[in-house]
Amino acid sequence: MSTVTVNDGNIVNRAGRGKKIAVYGALILFSLMYVFPFFIQIATSFKTDADATTNPLNLIPQPVTMAALKRLADTDYPLWFQNSVTVTILVTIGRVFFCSLAGYALARLKFRGRDGVFTALLAVMAVPGIVLLIPKFLVLNYIGLYDTYPALFVPLLVDAAGVFIMKQFFETISPSMEEAARIDGAGTFRTFWSIVLPMARPALITLTILSFQGSWNELGHFVIAVSDPNLYTLTRGVGQLTSGGLGSGNQFPISMASALIMTIPTALIFIIFQRYFTQGANAGADKG
Amino acid sequence: MSQVDSGRAGSGRRAPARVAKRGTGQNQTGAGWLFVSPMLIILGIFLAIPIVMALWVSFTDWNGRGNPFGSRVNFVGAENYTSLLTEQGLSRQDFMLSMRNTFYYVLGVVPVQTALALLLAVIVNQKFLKGRTFFRTAFYFPSVVSSVAISLVFVYLFTGTGAINTILSKVGVIGPNWLDDPRGVIHIIGEKVGLWSIDAPPSALASTEVMNLSLWEWFKGPSVALSTIMIQVIWTTAGTFMLMFLAALQDLPAEVEEAAMVDGANRRQRFMNVTVPHLRPTIFLVLTLGIIGTWQVFDQMYVMTQGGPAKTTLTPAYLSYAAAFRQQQWGEGAAIAFILFALIFLLTSIQRYLLRDKDEVAKKKATKAQAKAAKAKGALA
Amino acid sequence: MSRQVRTLAICLAGGIALSACGGGGFKDDNASPSAPASASGPVALQMLIASSGDAETAAVKAATDAWAKKTGNTVTVTVASDMNQQLAQGFASGKPADVFYMDAGRFADYAKQGSLYAYADQLKDNGDFYESLRKTFTYEGKQYCAPKDFSALALIINTDAWSKAGLGDGDIPKTWDDLATVAKKLTTDKQAGLVLGTGIDRAGAFVVQNGGWWLSEDGTSATAAQPGVSEAMAYVQKNNKEGIFKFNNQVSAGWGGEAFGKGLGAMTIEGNWIKGAMKNDFPNVKYVVAELPEGPKGKGTLMFTQCWGIAADSKAQAQAVDLVSSLTSVDQQIAFADAFGVMPSRQAAADGYKTKFPQDAAFIAGGAYGHGPINVPGMEQVISDLNSKLENFAGANLADVLKGFDTNAGSALGK
Repeated sequence: MSTVTVNDGNIVNRAGRGKKIAVYGALILFSLMYVFPFFIQIATSFKTDADATTNPLNLIPQPVTMAALKRLADTDYPLWFQNSVTVTILVTIGRVFFCSLAGYALARLKFRGRDGVFTALLAVMAVPGIVLLIPKFLVLNYIGLYDTYPALFVPLLVDAAGVFIMKQFFETISPSMEEAARIDGAGTFRTFWSIVLPMARPALITLTILSFQGSWNELGHFVIAVSDPNLYTLTRGVGQLTSGGLGSGNQFPISMASALIMTIPTALIFIIFQRYFTQGANAGADKG
Repeated sequence: MSQVDSGRAGSGRRAPARVAKRGTGQNQTGAGWLFVSPMLIILGIFLAIPIVMALWVSFTDWNGRGNPFGSRVNFVGAENYTSLLTEQGLSRQDFMLSMRNTFYYVLGVVPVQTALALLLAVIVNQKFLKGRTFFRTAFYFPSVVSSVAISLVFVYLFTGTGAINTILSKVGVIGPNWLDDPRGVIHIIGEKVGLWSIDAPPSALASTEVMNLSLWEWFKGPSVALSTIMIQVIWTTAGTFMLMFLAALQDLPAEVEEAAMVDGANRRQRFMNVTVPHLRPTIFLVLTLGIIGTWQVFDQMYVMTQGGPAKTTLTPAYLSYAAAFRQQQWGEGAAIAFILFALIFLLTSIQRYLLRDKDEVAKKKATKAQAKAAKAKGALA
Repeated sequence: MSRQVRTLAICLAGGIALSACGGGGFKDDNASPSAPASASGPVALQMLIASSGDAETAAVKAATDAWAKKTGNTVTVTVASDMNQQLAQGFASGKPADVFYMDAGRFADYAKQGSLYAYADQLKDNGDFYESLRKTFTYEGKQYCAPKDFSALALIINTDAWSKAGLGDGDIPKTWDDLATVAKKLTTDKQAGLVLGTGIDRAGAFVVQNGGWWLSEDGTSATAAQPGVSEAMAYVQKNNKEGIFKFNNQVSAGWGGEAFGKGLGAMTIEGNWIKGAMKNDFPNVKYVVAELPEGPKGKGTLMFTQCWGIAADSKAQAQAVDLVSSLTSVDQQIAFADAFGVMPSRQAAADGYKTKFPQDAAFIAGGAYGHGPINVPGMEQVISDLNSKLENFAGANLADVLKGFDTNAGSALGK
């Protein structure tokens, strides 16, 4: 009996050291692979065109220049940024509100047709987003919204997966508080607004993050919804900026800077809400 | 007060259905529909109705001029579909090229990103590790960044004289001209091992045509340009899937592993016999999500290659977009979208079916392992 | 907005009953009216241009501003980042720009579908535009729009590399053999003798010099497999295999001019737009411009052109036509030439241009014997397919590729 334990312990220990070295080695390698591109991106944003072309690996710009940023400021970049911010805020508010409203109804309210609505929701979730480009253009055009500001955000106001996530969440919280409120005579909306929503804070934050990420990074919808350059968002504008919008030549510092600036808000939100991002990824997974 | 309430709730539990139906039930019907109405309106107008509209367009010859539902647009039946699937011609050639490219793309990206995600998760999950949060963050961060931004960075890294080739040249390798190189990876490997020369392909392969493409073209493998995009996508998405694996790993009951350890299983056996079966549902989930995602690839093509070089990064999603929004062949573009839709639906259905099966298998295995562990424990005691 | 909301609501209530919603944003096709649509009062015209850079944008803006000031209308100039897509999306939505650059290669498709307004007959001195350019913008016997300007390919030679290779003024190539000889002399480890842009828009010049063309003169049948084309392509391929001609994608350059400026090639074949690029990106590279060498069937080059398109859906066509005639005046064309190096499309402006830019003689000369682009509807995809197959030029099986082009073009022409 005792020999078994000793042996076992020995094995674990010896293997443990080798394992530690292997794990740390792998970690360093992967970390480099994951972090290095961002460092290069940051450094290149402050390089001159020639420096960026000849010394792509240097992490210290020689000389440090703000030329790329200044050039960006002269393009429509600030406008695109502003559009992206507006659209993202509107979409996020819309999604959080409408998705939790619908998710609550599907989880808690008993009404005729609920099962049908839920089945329809599941069907909608099975539609791959990318095949909707042409359909969305057709309908936006049909109802006269094409190339208007609302075209950018109205179709994104509800997200089927978001409804699903909220429904799942509401099913996990105990109904006793609502029942109490209802018996106290509170209406359905009031119960929802002042009792249920506050309890749903973690799910709401998750949904907020998913909505932010979804609308800030969206490209396809913005490509087909508008054509007026004044309505471009960052993804659309930047996507085309480097493929001809600036004329010829290698303008890597500008493209790196434009990518960098559009990443900053994401990074900020990511750092602040890191914990919830993790949940978000897994909440998104549940829908599968 | 609260006691009374809870008492009521408790006693009412057996017969609440009737109450709901009679009293609050009617209230809830109104409220229920009201609550779901924004969802129904938005998803109805911007998802359900447009799909029907696009379905109609896919049966017409609408060229972007005038009203697609007006009288001057001709109904052409399944012509747009047959020109993609059964008729000789450029449309089918391009569509088949896009299918070939995406097939290799899926085949390369899905297994590698799954394996990488699992590997990262296992590494980050090591209990002794310091700074796990930092590493988890570093690996996950690219998944939340816009694909447009990432694409720009990769274009720069993989440009002919860029960072990647500079690193390669330091170890004596002359890197290719990544995003401009249309040569197929299988073609290159074949040439390297002396099977054939790319400029003079074996005539048996070059002269046999299947669906508008020669066998030589079909077996080209992903082009170097497409491989570059594959590397990028693997790098970007592995983080998301890593989180899913992490969550699953943290669910792994410690006793099971301990039991197996006591059982004398070595680390490798433990991983293969205990951890992997436990992770099986997650692996299948990751594979499903990966397949759905990869068949839809669009952003990278839009930003980086526009389908080039030599059409080797053409994908159905991009082709559909280009046919409609650039060449004004809306019917064909819509038809491509619907074929892609059907394909993804089919693939996910197959996956779902397999997933359901494997889930049970995994459960059985896990129970078996548990029983085995219990047995081992009993034996030791 | 409230109307939109109401429409939205009605559509929803009506479910999928499409007819109930009328046409909505889509315009029903009405037969094009004979009289131009003319809005009364000051109009706001939208103009969409594909600019080669800041110089061109500024020059066009200055010209439209001047017209706007004179007439009391306003013009908003938008630089397209993706001309094809923005035009196509504009037409499909029924809200295109009023005036736009219309590329010769795409012209026929848009003319065929009825997106363009044919106004050329309203221009006062339409006959003054070069005959070949007017023909380029003619579809089914009707000239639609006014040629904006044109450019032609010529041989660009790096003078330093030239003298380093021991070549003199008398060595400027006159024939295909000459070209191969000097290219060989100019080729070094790091520099190809001649760098070409990929695709038939450059290599096609050799086809013209060989008396061939991709389509028959009347544009009804495909002729790429005939010797006129295949021999010319074989000439390019042979020299490519020998390493004295290289394509821009073989030397990691975006286009011929970039390769030339970076010294990756001692010669290139490009149009007059290269002047601006050289001035901005490679100011230290010295070069001369020569006419392309003669082929077996004499001189030949390719010409490129765009016209000022006016949308059939424009609500202010009369004003748009007035704007275009002011933009195509002789003085304005010279001003544009001054600003961004394009060549005037009016014969009346040619003399002024020649005296102003004597170094461009080789480009201008191309106007006399150059061939315009393929301008038959439905050909765009066929051409881009050909170009994609020629990207690996050295490795391409030319006979198959050209035969494939004929097949594809044949079915496109048949439609």
